[in-house]
Amino acid sequence: MKYILLMTGTKAGVDTYRAWTKEDIGKHMARLKSLIKDLRESGEFVGDQGLTGPEEAKVVRGETKGMPITDGIFPESKEFLLGYWIVDVAIPERAYAIAALLSTLPGPGGMPTNMPIEVRELASHPLKWS
Amino acid sequence: MKYILMMNTMKAGHGVPGWPQKDLQAHIAFMISLNKELHESGELVSAEGLSFPDQAKLVRAGKDGVPVTDGLFPESKEFLAGYWIVDVDSPERAYAIAARASAAPGPGGAPLNMPIEVRPVMSAPPPEML
Repeated sequence: MKYILLMTGTKAGVDTYRAWTKEDIGKHMARLKSLIKDLRESGEFVGDQGLTGPEEAKVVRGETKGMPITDGIFPESKEFLLGYWIVDVAIPERAYAIAALLSTLPGPGGMPTNMPIEVRELASHPLKWS
Repeated sequence: MKYILMMNTMKAGHGVPGWPQKDLQAHIAFMISLNKELHESGELVSAEGLSFPDQAKLVRAGKDGVPVTDGLFPESKEFLAGYWIVDVDSPERAYAIAARASAAPGPGGAPLNMPIEVRPVMSAPPPEML
């Protein structure tokens, strides 16, 4: 069963993260790398992706005369996807356990961030294109 | 340049299963054809659909790192319904693809004009984070 683990945050939350010290970021990334290594070794790792910051985001709607309509203004409360991990696990509880590990990655001063991770199963029949 | 194109919906808007069969088939046929076209142009990196919001859990680590799951979300929360990652030469091309996806047919075959959030993905974490 493939699950996606979504890390989201508001613009203000992203600014807080950017104010972390280099040392705190280093510890966070080292723990994350080690977790990914474990997931690769257990065969559960499918993929991950980090996204650029909310200031790079545009919302696009359908075309008028063939031109996309873009807008870069979002409500302050909007949650942005910051990154995700996809894992292939035997049971949902294992996906939740991995999400909890991500949630305990160290933040400022080495304290766990306790960031919430949204967990959802991927559609089992994705639209095939080839 | 890699971009992610995200389709977000509210829980209430996640009504695709309630569409008439004919409209749903036309919608899916459109998506398959768009994916096929992007695959053939070499621009499609990946595409996934997510299970519905009623399957979503929010996970945090509790004491001792045990996962604490919650399935309650505010009505206003946006859920990721699915995404495409495309590799394109310019942001404008990513917006044009997003506009195509936005205009996917809905009930009665009318374009949905749903908003698609577009953001560059990080090719690698910034060097200072490693």
